[in-house]
Amino acid sequence: MYQINNLIFKYPKNKRDTIKDISFEIKDGEIFGLLGPSGVGKSTTQKILIKLLTGYKGEVLYKGRDLKFYEKDFYEEIGVGFEMPVHFSKLTAEENIDFFKKLYNSNIDTDSLLKRLGLYDDRKKKVSEFSKGMKIRLNFVRAMINNPKMLFLDEPTNGLDPSNARIVKEIIKEYKEQGGTVLLTTHLMNDVDELCDRVAFMADGKIAEISTPKDLKLKYGERKVEIEYKEGEGINKQSFELDSLGNNLEFLKLIKEKEIITIHSKENTLDDIFIKVTGVKKYE
Amino acid sequence: MSNFFVLINGEIQRMKKYNILTASIFVSLIWIGILHFIDVEDVTNIIPLLIFMDATSMAMLLVGVTFIYEKQEGTIRTLLVSPISKTEYILAKNFSNIIFNIFALVIMYGYSKLFKEVNLNFFAILGAVILVSFFHSMVGFLLTYFSKDFTDLLMGMMKYVFIFMTPVLLEEFNIITNNIFKKVLYIIPTKASLTLLKGATGGYETWKIWISILYIIFGTIILFYIVWKKFDEYAMKEGRD
Repeated sequence: MYQINNLIFKYPKNKRDTIKDISFEIKDGEIFGLLGPSGVGKSTTQKILIKLLTGYKGEVLYKGRDLKFYEKDFYEEIGVGFEMPVHFSKLTAEENIDFFKKLYNSNIDTDSLLKRLGLYDDRKKKVSEFSKGMKIRLNFVRAMINNPKMLFLDEPTNGLDPSNARIVKEIIKEYKEQGGTVLLTTHLMNDVDELCDRVAFMADGKIAEISTPKDLKLKYGERKVEIEYKEGEGINKQSFELDSLGNNLEFLKLIKEKEIITIHSKENTLDDIFIKVTGVKKYE
Repeated sequence: MSNFFVLINGEIQRMKKYNILTASIFVSLIWIGILHFIDVEDVTNIIPLLIFMDATSMAMLLVGVTFIYEKQEGTIRTLLVSPISKTEYILAKNFSNIIFNIFALVIMYGYSKLFKEVNLNFFAILGAVILVSFFHSMVGFLLTYFSKDFTDLLMGMMKYVFIFMTPVLLEEFNIITNNIFKKVLYIIPTKASLTLLKGATGGYETWKIWISILYIIFGTIILFYIVWKKFDEYAMKEGRD
């Protein structure tokens, strides 16, 4: 879908490049996560891909054609979900949706999407009366309004309660199953783990790591199993190498003879990998 | 150009919802009040002056207010990723502005025809309103580009009124009579605007009207180009977070 080659970008008033020679690909029908702490160039990269920023060096190909040659029809094919609410607050949700629907050649059935996201009954309310979560859900409807081929989502579940976050994630999965491609930017590693086929971690304007979540966990994880078991009145803990575990007599004896409390493989979580790869102690 | 009309409809709908239309009608009623209470039967020379105030300051203000609302609510971002061109976006704001200025003209002209005496070429003043409003909508865009918020915009507008409108009005009311000053006034756009509007009363030489028409048209083209070019920079600023 997208091929990015040697992309470099500098804001006119900055001395240093914000994007420092990055190359990656977003394949048709995948959910690609672009991750990293604030200020490393994720938003800038996304804004280049949606033609909000020009004046970059390098090459950005969309469907094999240079992005620079696409005109306004390009936006018929993409949907952009912003992190912050982007609605006319004194218009109702329905008026907002109707206005944007008219700008596109094709539309989805917004009523069913509103119903699914729990906004249908409030569609005639002014957006200024909406809670933050409702505005975020309406952002999602806005992004999907034109039935896009490519969806850009910036923190789509941030600020949502767990049940609404679940619904949004289900819709994203269904969108992918129907052939849609997604670029997901988020700090929530659970979402990444659940949704993304591949992820790229950005640090200081560069891509520090790019792979599937599973491969990254294997690469950065320890190949060990940790067991907690009862020993007399107390609890003991012991680690074993994951390789040839089935032939490890000590391990086999332990699980046969002791009362096991927990057993965990020691693979890293994406949170751990995020911190290792991007070099931050906590999320900004 | 179908999206152009969608944008115009959207602008007008939002002007209603955000009470900008109400404010605009209120201003028109103030103009009617002035026409009503002024102790002059023939208002032919007064209407162009009132329209001058309306088509300049209201044009700048309406563009600025709607633009700043879009900036504050973030809707400019979502418009920028919609299948519209920046030309359509800029022109839609201008055209909806012109519609409001024409509305004010029609109200004032209609009132004067019914209750006062007025002798001016309606189509000539209509054309003048369109040109003056278009030009000043562009000025409104530029002022907004350089304004951080609504207060900043109002300050910019006040500077424009003080520097460009006040001298023209002082000359019009014969408070300033110096010949050199009168000639210098021809370099500022507000003099050309007032000349165009007053031209509809038949009180100006034809060559002066033509010079004013050319001034406003070329001025509008230049401003449109600057607004169009600067729009990307504005969009980029909006895009950084």
